[in-house]
Amino acid sequence: MDKQSLVDYEAMAKLCLTENERAWILEKAHLLEQSFSTLSTIDTKDVEPLVTILDMYGSLREDMAEKSISREEILSNAPERCDGFFQAPKTLE
Amino acid sequence: MKFALDNSIMVKGKIAASGSRILSNFHAPFSATAYSKLKNAGMEYYGYTRPDEFGVAPLFCDKPGEIAEAVRCVADGRCDVALGNDVFGKLRRQAPENGLFYIHPTYGTVSRFGLIPAISSMDQIGLVCRSLDDGFAALSIIAGHDKNDATTYPQADYSYSPQPGNLRIAVPDNVMQLADEKSRQAILAFTGVFESESFELKYFNALHQVQYILGCAEICNNTNRYDGIKFGYRTSEFSGLNELYSKTRAEGFGPDMKLASIMGCMVLSREHYDSLYLKAMKIRRLVKQQCDELFSRYDAIALPTSIEDRDEYEQSALYALATLAGLPSVSIPCMKDDTRCGVQDGGPGGRSSIQYGAQDGGRNVLNGGIQLIAQSKNEGALLSVCRGGL
Repeated sequence: MDKQSLVDYEAMAKLCLTENERAWILEKAHLLEQSFSTLSTIDTKDVEPLVTILDMYGSLREDMAEKSISREEILSNAPERCDGFFQAPKTLE
Repeated sequence: MKFALDNSIMVKGKIAASGSRILSNFHAPFSATAYSKLKNAGMEYYGYTRPDEFGVAPLFCDKPGEIAEAVRCVADGRCDVALGNDVFGKLRRQAPENGLFYIHPTYGTVSRFGLIPAISSMDQIGLVCRSLDDGFAALSIIAGHDKNDATTYPQADYSYSPQPGNLRIAVPDNVMQLADEKSRQAILAFTGVFESESFELKYFNALHQVQYILGCAEICNNTNRYDGIKFGYRTSEFSGLNELYSKTRAEGFGPDMKLASIMGCMVLSREHYDSLYLKAMKIRRLVKQQCDELFSRYDAIALPTSIEDRDEYEQSALYALATLAGLPSVSIPCMKDDTRCGVQDGGPGGRSSIQYGAQDGGRNVLNGGIQLIAQSKNEGALLSVCRGGL
C-alpha cells in the first residue's frame, strides 16, 4: 500500500487520519501485505469460496407483524433529531 | 451463579459501548437473547466488563495487552462466569493463563441477537469460567435456536454431557514444534492418558492471514453504520455531511479499528478482491474440509495456547482454526505438579485444583494452557476429554 492508495482507502472508509496515524497504518499494512503473500502458495484451483460455515440455510421466521422498537426509542439515541426524524447537515445548497 | 457481560452484549437501557468511543453514549434499545435467558433462568447479573474495541483484540499494539476485564472479573471471584466475544483468541489465551477456562461454543448454537457485531461470520458469545461445570451450565441456558437470529441452528436447546467411549486425540506436530516449552509439556502430559496421534495441520501458516483478511472485510462493512447521525458519538465541529462522517469516525474509532477499516477497503477493492478476499474464502473452505476429515477419525484436536517468540498477530493462528471453521473449543489451564498435565486433586478449602489456580491468580501454579477443539456441535467430546484428562 502506498500513500496515495491509503488516501483513497481513507476516503472510502470515511476517515480523516492524522499524519502520525497514516505512518503507523502504512507500516502495519506493509507487514500485513508481506504476510499475505503466503496465501499465493496454496493451490485453490476449483475450490469454491466458503460463504457461510453453517451447514444449513438460514432459518427464516414467519412473516408476521410483531411489536418492535418504537420510533421514539430509536430516535432517543440520535445525536440530533427534528419532527420525528434523524437530523443531518444539508447536502444541497 | 453470578454472571458478567462484556458491554458488547446489550442490556436494555444500559450503555452498550462495546469498548468504543463511537458507542460511548449508546443506550441499548433491547436486551441480548443471552442476557435474557440467563436472567430468566434466575442467574444474578453482576454487571458489564469492558472489552477491547468491538471485542477485537489489538494485534498490532506495541505495548503488551492488558488482562481482559472478563478474565479479571472471574479470576478475582466477582462472578462465576463472564460472557464475551473472542474472535482473535485473547480470552482463550488469557483465561488459562489466569487459572480459568474459556468455552467457545459451536458457531450457530448461541444467539448473537443483541451482540454488537464486529466480524459476523466469526462473532460468537463464549464464556470465561472458573469451573467447567459452571461454564457448561451457563452455556446450556444460553444455547438454542433464536427466532431473532437466523444463523442459529433449529435445535431448541442443548444439553452437554460427556461423549461415551474411547477418546482419540490428534496433536499437530507442526504446531507443537512452535509451542512454548510449558505448553508443549502440558499437552504431551495431558494427551498421554488418551489414544493420541500426531498429524500435520495443513494451512496453519496461513490461518492468521485468512482470519485477518476476512475479519477486516467484515469489520469494514459492520462499522459503516457508525456515521454520527442515527446513534452513537458525533463530532462537535464539522462543516457539511462528509466532514461529519469522517471526523466522527476518526475521533470515535481506536487505531486497530482504523487499521482494520483501511485494510478492509483494500482487500475488498477491485485490485485485491480475487487475490486476497476471494482467496481467503477459498482457503477457509479448505480449512473446514480438513477439519471435517480430521473429526471423522478423532474426537478432539489439542493445540497449545501460545507460540514462542511470535507477536499477537501470529499467535492468533492458534485460535483461528476454531473460529474459521465454526468449531467448539475449550481452553484449559494446567498446573505444575500434576502427573498428567499438572492438575492436582483438591486445592485450598477442598476446592478443585482448577479453582485453586484461579484463587491464586495463577501465580506459581500454572504450567501453560491447552486448547481442545471438537467437531461442530460436539461439545460433549470436549467435556469427555476434559473429564478424562483432569
